[in-house]
Amino acid sequence: MLLTADIVPVVVATGASARVAAEVAPQFKVGDSVRLRNHNPVTHTRLPGYLRGKMGVIEQDWGVFAFPDTHAHGLGEKPQHCYSVRFSAREVWGPTAAAPDTLRVDVFDDYMEAA
Amino acid sequence: MNGIHDLGGMHGLGPVLREDNEPVFHADWERRAFGLFASTFVFAGYSVDEFRHAIEKIPPAHYLDSTYYEHWMFAFEETLIKRGFVTRDELDARMAQLRAGEH
Repeated sequence: MLLTADIVPVVVATGASARVAAEVAPQFKVGDSVRLRNHNPVTHTRLPGYLRGKMGVIEQDWGVFAFPDTHAHGLGEKPQHCYSVRFSAREVWGPTAAAPDTLRVDVFDDYMEAA
Repeated sequence: MNGIHDLGGMHGLGPVLREDNEPVFHADWERRAFGLFASTFVFAGYSVDEFRHAIEKIPPAHYLDSTYYEHWMFAFEETLIKRGFVTRDELDARMAQLRAGEH
């Protein structure tokens, strides 16, 4: 397949989105407490190292997307939900972080377990 | 992958430098590199995840010392060589031509 002029606007507008039109049940719902797995693959992952083992709260469910860890290696889309997860700065960076600060990171189902 | 790309939380790298009225591209070749993504993504059929992983394979010292679109160029080479669209020898030969001023 070649990039032709008629499909350029679509490619540019969607930025090659990894959203998948599949019905997949979410493992979590907004408000759930989660703990991030100690996930250390030598291959691709979108889980930032600084979040391993940290506790967070599901803040928003973005829908279903291809799972980067498998998709990057030709191992299938393994479609699953991706969420905005809220962490307190102190949970992530320890007691010297400012108490009111929080951060939100997009996290896939497979990176988390119920807490 | 625990690579140099995973910079979150690292100390000692200095402040994030903000540029007033930052242009979308800092050089003309960056504009072409952006276009290369859309075209090679479609004909080579790779995913954005595969492309990101290719960037992660940049040797760490070079990763820190190179720009955003240089990372993209590395990933184009990595991905297109892996998929057989071009060989390392062909790329090296073309680079030698350009270095010698032949276009």
